[in-house]
Amino acid sequence: MAEVILEGVTKVFPGGVVAVKDMDLHIRDEEFIVLVGPSGCGKSTTLRMVAGLEEITAGTISIGGAVVNDVPPKNRDIAMVFQNYALYPHMTVYKNMAFALKLRRFPRAEIDKRVREAARILGIGELLDRKPKALSGGQRQRVAVGRAIVRAPKAFLFDEPLSNLDAKLRVEMRAELKRLHRTLQTTTIYVTHDQEEAMTLGDRIVVMKDAVVHQCGAPLEVYDAPANRFVAGFVGTPPMNFLHGRLAGDNGAVWFDEGTARIRLRSEQAGRLTAWVGREVVFGARPEAMSLAGEGRFAGEGNVLSVQVAVVEPLGEKMDLYAATPRHGHVVARVDARRDIQPGQSVALHLDMRKVHVFDPGDAGANLLRRGA
Amino acid sequence: MIEDVRTTSGRGARPTAEVVKHLFVLLVLSATFFPLYMMLNISTKTNRDFFRDPWVPRHVEASVVRDNYAQAWRTIGFSIPNTMFLCASTSGLKLVAAILAAYVFARFAFPLKGLLWAGVMVLMLMPGVANLVPLFTQLRDMGLLNTYAALVLTGAAAGQTFNLFILRSFIEDTPEELFEAAEVDGAGHLGKIWHVVVPMNGSIIATLACLSIVSVWNNFMLPLLIVRDPSRQVTAVALYRLANAYVREWGPTMAAYTIAAVPLVVMFLFTMRYFVRGVAAGSIKG
Repeated sequence: MAEVILEGVTKVFPGGVVAVKDMDLHIRDEEFIVLVGPSGCGKSTTLRMVAGLEEITAGTISIGGAVVNDVPPKNRDIAMVFQNYALYPHMTVYKNMAFALKLRRFPRAEIDKRVREAARILGIGELLDRKPKALSGGQRQRVAVGRAIVRAPKAFLFDEPLSNLDAKLRVEMRAELKRLHRTLQTTTIYVTHDQEEAMTLGDRIVVMKDAVVHQCGAPLEVYDAPANRFVAGFVGTPPMNFLHGRLAGDNGAVWFDEGTARIRLRSEQAGRLTAWVGREVVFGARPEAMSLAGEGRFAGEGNVLSVQVAVVEPLGEKMDLYAATPRHGHVVARVDARRDIQPGQSVALHLDMRKVHVFDPGDAGANLLRRGA
Repeated sequence: MIEDVRTTSGRGARPTAEVVKHLFVLLVLSATFFPLYMMLNISTKTNRDFFRDPWVPRHVEASVVRDNYAQAWRTIGFSIPNTMFLCASTSGLKLVAAILAAYVFARFAFPLKGLLWAGVMVLMLMPGVANLVPLFTQLRDMGLLNTYAALVLTGAAAGQTFNLFILRSFIEDTPEELFEAAEVDGAGHLGKIWHVVVPMNGSIIATLACLSIVSVWNNFMLPLLIVRDPSRQVTAVALYRLANAYVREWGPTMAAYTIAAVPLVVMFLFTMRYFVRGVAAGSIKG
């Protein structure tokens, strides 16, 4: 069993900087969990506390059922892949991968077997005699992963391992890591600032900001039902559109009044928002939850938003329209590319009302339509 | 028609600067190599040849050269292994201590660290010669006079502030992730020193080793005071005793200096690339 459990984990750096605040997280055995958030949110610090590279100020961390707060990194049975690979430059690829096993006094035959097996899995068998400086970025990353694999640890810890790779390589390595996880079936904690990476890799994603976990759930759950405005805006590319306005009631129906447009919420949505009628709220709709009037998608009553297009970005089958309402200067809609839309043109957008959100306008920005909100 | 100014003015204007540059380099090289040339030159002469014409090798006879070097070897040959042993042991102990201490200062936080570091650095201001008498007294009281232990211990301590200063800086610049990776892989502090610090800073360590070896090889005053047994004496003192001979034989004297220089030259030949790398690493850090 290799569950990793964080209970009340807090990290305060000298000077009073709170990097992680009262974090509770239960990572199941063999799960691939991704910690994602902007720089400075505490995700790397959390990972480093699990690794034992940072001391925990409060709380407990358990790996495989044993509390490891005071256990040094080498005895936690974890393996880490660093952002800058951290390969030993004076050692060959073989020696880099064998190093940890050599320190643990594994028999030479066993070391050789593990190193070659890991090299085979990663496709770096022909690189074993090279030194890191003779490798490309992608090859170095594979060696760093290989160095972790040979340990057969209870948990893998990845600290933004793909951030130094170019975009194409990043996509390739992402798929590689996912395949690897299926093969190795080992608990994996992965840190990234790239929400796209988080969505594609994780069984669950943990969205963090300012030392706090804002939401933890399956990628689609976080995408479709964000807990608050921060999560909604962070996850998804292009990000969700936010329109500030007010809720108005009208004969049992609830409308979002943007100032220049009124959008009617569905009855089940209205039922949850009665306490907010007459108050300021933030309306959220993802770019893909919009379509051009005339396309036929999302056609309905009271769900039209008129915008003036500023920039058209073709993407192939779809195109992104960067537009504005008289009150909101930044609205992005992802629509069918077959329509001929020009910058400066006014268009009407239909909204998929099943996929819109209403948020509290305050700092917390809680999703008022989310169950349990 | 556009003239190629380089052919008319560029090439004409630059040669002067180039000539001056090359002349200056030649001058410096001459000043550096002239003593070596004279040493080799005089080592091939008899006293009579020397007084007749010390500057240029004339009528070099193999028998004279052979006799000079043979006599030189008889005079100082015994001291070469003594000095090599002292160089190896002193430099080894010196570097081990410096690396360990620099590692602690670079990577640990502990109370009064700043004060301790300042205290160590202040020692750099202390002239070594001022310590001679108290050092002699202390070694005598410890019963270490006429022992190599005295030379090794004092030699290992000498100049450590400089080594500490340099090594601390280099260890601090060693990427933290390498230390962390080593820690996760299972290395303790000694493991990190051996597998990270030493390989990553090999050039500067080799440079400091070279400097230390040269310093120990040329060390004269303390061996003169400490070592009483002539057979255990070091090369620098043995050479000095040559100068005190009643009749100065210049040929064998210079031959002895040549013999004394050979181990250092050989060492530099083998370690030159590390030395250059170490000096370059210091000047273009990163």
